[in-house]
Amino acid sequence: MKIIPGNIFGFWLFVVASAVIVYVMNLSEKGKLKVTLRPIAGLDALEEAVGRATEMGRPVHFSPGLGDIIGTSAPDTLAALQILSYVTDLSAKYDARLLVTIRMPNVFPLAQELVRTAYSMANKPQSYKEDTVRYVSSDQDAYAAGVIGLMHQEKVASSILAGLYMGEALLIAESGASLGTMQVAITASITQIPFFVAACDYTIIGEELYAAGAYVSGNKARLGAIAGQDCIKLAVMAIIVLGTIVTSLGSNFVQDLLTK
Amino acid sequence: MRKELPLAITFVVALIALLSGVVQGPIPGLGVSIGDIYGNYIGKWMTVVSAFALCLASVNLILVHGRAVARKRSQDWIYSAILLGTLVVYALFRTYVELNPADEAARANYSLIYDYILSPLMSGQWACLAFYVGSASYRAFRARNLEATVLLVSAIVVMLGAAPIGSLLWDQFPAIQQWLLNVPSMTGQRALLLGAALGSFSTSLRTLLGIERGHLGGM
Repeated sequence: MKIIPGNIFGFWLFVVASAVIVYVMNLSEKGKLKVTLRPIAGLDALEEAVGRATEMGRPVHFSPGLGDIIGTSAPDTLAALQILSYVTDLSAKYDARLLVTIRMPNVFPLAQELVRTAYSMANKPQSYKEDTVRYVSSDQDAYAAGVIGLMHQEKVASSILAGLYMGEALLIAESGASLGTMQVAITASITQIPFFVAACDYTIIGEELYAAGAYVSGNKARLGAIAGQDCIKLAVMAIIVLGTIVTSLGSNFVQDLLTK
Repeated sequence: MRKELPLAITFVVALIALLSGVVQGPIPGLGVSIGDIYGNYIGKWMTVVSAFALCLASVNLILVHGRAVARKRSQDWIYSAILLGTLVVYALFRTYVELNPADEAARANYSLIYDYILSPLMSGQWACLAFYVGSASYRAFRARNLEATVLLVSAIVVMLGAAPIGSLLWDQFPAIQQWLLNVPSMTGQRALLLGAALGSFSTSLRTLLGIERGHLGGM
């Protein structure tokens, strides 16, 4: 058994990065490192979005995006589900009606169980209804049409769009904007960020999606992981600067190392 | 145990999936490679689990829309009825086509549903994007502050660089458009991509180690 050529650097980077993140996470958990995240307006606005729905007597809509829990979109969907957990807590706290729309069948049972558990933990199991979490369609276009239809029918007060999005992002977000819905978008999908920025009240971009779970929970271990991630980011930045200098001097050392 | 078991399964499966793409060759003492374990066992289990998830999701879809039709509380119940009707017709038609592969006429008629109903509906839906881009751009491009003004000017230059009239007005518009896309825009995108990749990695690691449990319910 050996590492596939071309993946050697990647494998060892994975091992080192994992070790650093776990180390910093432990330091944070034991209280030896105090990690504070900068305020993220969009995440603070989640409470406002749920509160608005309560005041208006209308539902809050949540979409965990188009991603699945398998494949490359899994981290985005898992991060979105962590936000869903928080939004369910808020909905239970403020007695707001929550509507969750699901695209991928694999995500459906997970989201259903998550919302049911969150309501039970908030001592409000009766707030969970069979139509709280709704499977719409695994087809991208049909999902967008279903979500837009639901937003119109239920006259949702707030809409939270988290996770991976593709071309239908603007269809959903602009429909929400035309209804006067307060919208918070949380995505790392680079091509869709401009559309969300244009159509939503708050847009949380890039790595903030993955940090959202740690931000809203305040869990020390999770916050430590964000700090560990920043250490790796500094190392990557150093490699970029080093690579630029070394390549400018005519050496292929860094390129050879990365492709080893 | 209700959370520990899923976390243990997540750890083992994620580790195998991860290593299957990085290492090759048989595991000493077992004689099979990690790639084989992933392909022959985990891949198949994923298909089985996905099939069950689809069943659960379909039941939810039928229950939610079945109740809407039964209660008729709002005038929108008709859409639920159309959805359920379409679901049944499409499922029965597809089943017939699969069971009778020799029936070319049925297969051709099945394709007609896609070509003349679904496809035009999708095209119509996506055509709305042109208007949505216009209305969203109008709100985003209003020069309320310095950032919005820079965005407005950049957008005008990029549009003029891409449209034929731009190069007729000034032959440097396409070059400026390319510079804006390749330098400032690409720089920002790569920075976002780098942060997102590390965030994605960190989330996966936390999930693999069972530290991130938000997706199992309760923060």
